[in-house]
Amino acid sequence: MATSTLTLEEIREQILQDEQKAAFLARIERGEKIEATDWMPDEYRQLLIRLIHMHGISEVMGCYPEKEWVPKAPNLRRKLAIMAKVQDEVGHGQLLLRVAEDLAAPLNRTRDDLMADLFVSKVKFHNVFHMEARTWADAGLIGWLVDGAAICTQASLLDTSYAPYGRMLKRICAEESFHMQHGESICLALAQGTAKQRAMLQDALERWWEALMFFFGPPEMSEAAKKMLVYKIRTKTNEELRQKYLNRYVPRIQALGLKIPDPNLRYDETKQRWVYTEPDWDKFYRIVRDNQGPKSRERIELRRQAHEGNRWVREAMTRVRARMTG
Amino acid sequence: MREGIYDVYEVFVQHNKTDHHVHVGSVLAPSPDLALHVARENFLRRDRAVSIWVVRREDIHATSYQDPDFFARETDKTYREVSGYTENGRLWRMFKQRMMNIEEVVEDMRGDDR
Ligand SMILES: [Fe+2]
Ligand SMILES: [Fe+2]
Repeated sequence: MATSTLTLEEIREQILQDEQKAAFLARIERGEKIEATDWMPDEYRQLLIRLIHMHGISEVMGCYPEKEWVPKAPNLRRKLAIMAKVQDEVGHGQLLLRVAEDLAAPLNRTRDDLMADLFVSKVKFHNVFHMEARTWADAGLIGWLVDGAAICTQASLLDTSYAPYGRMLKRICAEESFHMQHGESICLALAQGTAKQRAMLQDALERWWEALMFFFGPPEMSEAAKKMLVYKIRTKTNEELRQKYLNRYVPRIQALGLKIPDPNLRYDETKQRWVYTEPDWDKFYRIVRDNQGPKSRERIELRRQAHEGNRWVREAMTRVRARMTG
Repeated sequence: MREGIYDVYEVFVQHNKTDHHVHVGSVLAPSPDLALHVARENFLRRDRAVSIWVVRREDIHATSYQDPDFFARETDKTYREVSGYTENGRLWRMFKQRMMNIEEVVEDMRGDDR
């Protein structure tokens, strides 16, 4: 994913060269929303598929770190809650894949294809879901800080130019409000707990901080990401989102008495922004592009087994119907 | 239907018998029966409801977004709307009375204070 030196204005100029694309962009710039059945430039469709496919698959893969904690949750209420949360993420995955497959239908691609892309590394998923959830504090921290980051991204996408995505995100954001409280509740309990529990939370933060800094992607955006901004598929840059996230979460992390493992992290009053140690973006690409994260292979394999294991059910159900309807 | 390939069903949820069914999204399912189940799992993990409809997408007849003329409003329609009668408030004041609106009448009729 090479970063692009083109400015947004230059990309916009390129789009305006083409008469049809220019008319389409004019609709978006007037604030009109695009529907699945509207004519759209191929590149707009491809950008949407790329974004929503990755979003949907990330929701599905996001179940794995937390589902490991369903059998080990500390009490029944926590078990029910984390189970409900994992269920929500599966649901989000299904809703988003629905939106993606309507876009992919003209390209003759089905749900099965979108799912199978994961097994051959043709679709990426969020860096955070390649990581291990070692302790119960990791499970809590995922709910608090990873869902927190996902909520920031999803909330910023509510204004997307593609209406079906925006409508689904409304529903998803409503459910995320529970995920937020769920994660915070676990972390607040640990922060009030014994020295050992507080240390567990601190350890989890140290394990997850780098992944959280990776979450919004590199400050230098790819050409595809810049095109998404021009077409108003998304409306905020990676760095804008990261800054808003840090604004909201750093004071809360510190208020719990936790120490963020970055000696350079501070708010620069003159620049009006957070300064931080630049994370190792090559490592980020090895995780999301090459699936070289600590749990990448294992979780993709689990997903593949589930998908293949259920194949006979999918086939049997459609075979019965095909016979009934002739 | 190709083997292993499901149909798209549009989902309509009725939350209450006094409300209409409202479109909430779509699901992929091999049969109407399963579409109802998947719809419940996808859209009603929290909200209460009394009924779900699922309709195969290909059975839906819809207007086209490409034909905005279908919804054209060439003429002024304020004579059909409350906003066309703002004058009444001023006139009632001349007669030393206050203008009513339907919301307060509804509230009055449904309330049990006498
Ligand atoms: Fe989610
Ligand atoms: Fe979530």
